[in-house]
Amino acid sequence: MEPLAHEGLGRLLELHGRRTPLALGADAGTKLLPGKSLGDGGVLKLGRRKLALPSQPLGRDTAQAPFLALSDDVAVLDGAAAHHPRQLVEMLAAAREEAGWRRLLYAPTVEPAGMPLLAYLGVDLFDSLTAELRGVAGFRLEQGDWIPDAKATAASNRKALAGWLARIRSALEQGRLRELVERTALHNPRVTQLLHHSRDLLATRGARRATGIRAGALSFDHPAVNEWRRRLERFAPPAEGMVLLLLPCSARKPYHWSNSHRRFHRTLRSLNNWLALHVVSVTSPLGLVPRELEMLHPAAHYDVGVTGHWDANEREMFGRQLERLRPEDNYKKAVVHAGSASGMLAELLRERGVEVLETGAERPVSGAGLGALGKACRTALRGVASLSGRDRSCGEATGLAQVQFGKLAAPLLTAPVQGRWPRLRLGELANFSPRIGGFALTVRGAATLAEAGGPVVEATEFRLRGDLFAVGVTGTRGKFRNGDQVAVEQGGEITAAGVARMAPSEMVAMERGLAVEVRNRG
Amino acid sequence: MADVFAEFVNGAKQEPPAHPLDQPVATWTEREVLDGAEVEAGVAILRTRGCYWSIREGCAMCGYFNDTVPGGVSTEALLAQWAQVMRHLDGKRYAKIYTSGSFLDPTEVPLDFAAQAMAEMHAAGVEKVLVESLPEFVHARHMDYGAAPALEVAIGLESATPLVLDKCVNKRLKWDGFTRSCANARDAGASVKAYVLLKPPFLNEAQAIDDAVASVERAAPHVDKVSINPVNVQRHTVVERLWKRGEWSAPWLWSVAEVLRRTADCGVRVYSDPTGGGTQRGAHNCGTCDRTLLDGLTAHRLGGGMPAAACDCRGRWKALLAQGGVRRDGAEPHGYRRGFRAGRGF
Ligand code: SF4
Ligand SMILES: [Zn+2]
Repeated sequence: MEPLAHEGLGRLLELHGRRTPLALGADAGTKLLPGKSLGDGGVLKLGRRKLALPSQPLGRDTAQAPFLALSDDVAVLDGAAAHHPRQLVEMLAAAREEAGWRRLLYAPTVEPAGMPLLAYLGVDLFDSLTAELRGVAGFRLEQGDWIPDAKATAASNRKALAGWLARIRSALEQGRLRELVERTALHNPRVTQLLHHSRDLLATRGARRATGIRAGALSFDHPAVNEWRRRLERFAPPAEGMVLLLLPCSARKPYHWSNSHRRFHRTLRSLNNWLALHVVSVTSPLGLVPRELEMLHPAAHYDVGVTGHWDANEREMFGRQLERLRPEDNYKKAVVHAGSASGMLAELLRERGVEVLETGAERPVSGAGLGALGKACRTALRGVASLSGRDRSCGEATGLAQVQFGKLAAPLLTAPVQGRWPRLRLGELANFSPRIGGFALTVRGAATLAEAGGPVVEATEFRLRGDLFAVGVTGTRGKFRNGDQVAVEQGGEITAAGVARMAPSEMVAMERGLAVEVRNRG
Repeated sequence: MADVFAEFVNGAKQEPPAHPLDQPVATWTEREVLDGAEVEAGVAILRTRGCYWSIREGCAMCGYFNDTVPGGVSTEALLAQWAQVMRHLDGKRYAKIYTSGSFLDPTEVPLDFAAQAMAEMHAAGVEKVLVESLPEFVHARHMDYGAAPALEVAIGLESATPLVLDKCVNKRLKWDGFTRSCANARDAGASVKAYVLLKPPFLNEAQAIDDAVASVERAAPHVDKVSINPVNVQRHTVVERLWKRGEWSAPWLWSVAEVLRRTADCGVRVYSDPTGGGTQRGAHNCGTCDRTLLDGLTAHRLGGGMPAAACDCRGRWKALLAQGGVRRDGAEPHGYRRGFRAGRGF
């Protein structure tokens, strides 16, 4: 049993030559076999291997904890097909603690449309029972949906279901399961509700995975998007008394590599004291992206269709984002040059009591737009204290480190800040890494964090040559999630720094699979 | 660990509403067979304190407590009810006198009241009377009435499988206790009817059929007839909870017919009169063939042949049964019986 990839609470497992999530009875060589007597749960077959299932939940209220029925190898989420979405999410939230990581999580008789989401929430096994009955009733499975078809049979639906599961697995492997989930949710009220109720669960326990977001209507609730918005609370601009400059986002990410932002930059750098302008890009669904955070996931990795129309949801979201940025305390004034979003943003800023200059440019990148931008900024910068390049870099490093590490940023920031954004360094403790999109810890940096209570993975004492695998993990300290930077400790010494690729309890429980992707070794 | 099932049963229950004490719960008439001939039977449910077992825990499918009076009903009030029942029984040769518990439990139905009721029925020309009781009360000293119509005692066996009684029904009934009560009843000159459940909660459709058939076969030598009771959804019960949640649905009428077919040769009369038949809360099929099958069941109960119908929902029922070995609960996809097509009507 080896975890190959994670997304949300879901995992792609290599298991006796097969991969999960899979549907018993649909995926080749898998089967549910009946029990020998009433109440006996029977066994499931994976090729030649047989795993006993826990007994039938006779006399049990499946809505009461403990929710899962357990056998040695399998944990069954009885009632998964029936329970109210909120109840089901509560059960899924408890599932890993009840089942552990080495039991397979089986959700019986669920609808195919629910499978991508349940896989995303950690279910390993499904079955073909519901799809078979649909076939008998004259419906064929197509893209997770039921299409009336007199020729449909139980067998043809088993085959279609195997294809659907293959799609779920490949999405999970690519880090695109969330997209498949959003797509199935779009026209399925139950999946929509489940997704809605699982927002907090995903945001607090899901794996952080740096794949791109191709945003749709439901991406507003994407855990990475949510987390981004919340993390803005920890952010502070590089210096006090700067001028906030709101610019539109660009299709190309990160923004400063785009044509439009290059042109903005050329206009700005010709101004006196232009370093006192703090550029924040305006975008849906992330909200606000300060320049020094542009390279972080997901700011650097999302795609969204810009329509120029901003709905009530988006307005509310920008309002909350501005609340987190506290422009009334953090800036002297603001220049708004954000195209179609300008009117809305200027209004929101004024509501907060910020002095606003609007460039009024409908096409911000046009010659006229750039002219208006230059003029407005020149006016806004009048009387603003000048900011040196050094001070600005220090401020940028602080803002970035705080967003990345929260409370643990303080010990890192005792190191001298060197270089210019984006190539910032924190002395010997951290370097800017394009892959991480922010500071990557050196071994010393990881040790500094560990001393302050940061995340540590304890490993057996062997010579670490490449990555750390689950088999070598003996324990963990501190809090972290799959995707966070961690220190590796062997024999009481921090020997490496890297990125966790499993949840803490998972890397302790599993015997195989990548636990820490090592980036620096001591 | 506290018994989770008992907690589940008690958690589903609710205090019964206030009821008038001098009125029976209900009276009605139904067609019955007496000595090979069809008669009109008079039926009454007396309002009582209710089943002693239900006061402690009760059975997972039983909502009779909803009709009871927790403080108990005085003999005077029972006599007031009885006066109305006697009017209803006028001219009837066959009477069924139910309570929401055990007629033979003297703490629920006082013996002197029972003896008076029997004597009045006897005097009014009632030839046969059916009463229900838990096995523990089926004893000659509880049936010592003096002048009385011929007595028929109905005992809720529910299932002959200990696991089903214990984990699906929540009834503390031992096989020996059941057979002893059958013998007691027969020794006292009564005939015995057994109730066997079809699809108690938690069982799937196929398991339910097998269990009902096995129970009938095992009970047959000890009883005179068997009534198959398809479980229906009564208020404030475990069954209602599971049903509302979608973890269990009432049995198919095909299953009722199947149990009758498979037990036709067991040596005693086996029949079924499904409570709430044809509705979502009772045994039902696709909605198109329900009436035909229900009429067939009535005809069969009155001495006719096996119920039959031709409908394409039968294929779906068979497909569901084929999954019986691996389905972990009594549910099926919502709308499956109708073939996922919108209901009839408009
Ligand atoms: S089914 Fe009979 S024994 Fe069980 S609770 Fe109801 S009345 Fe009492
Ligand atoms: Zn039908």
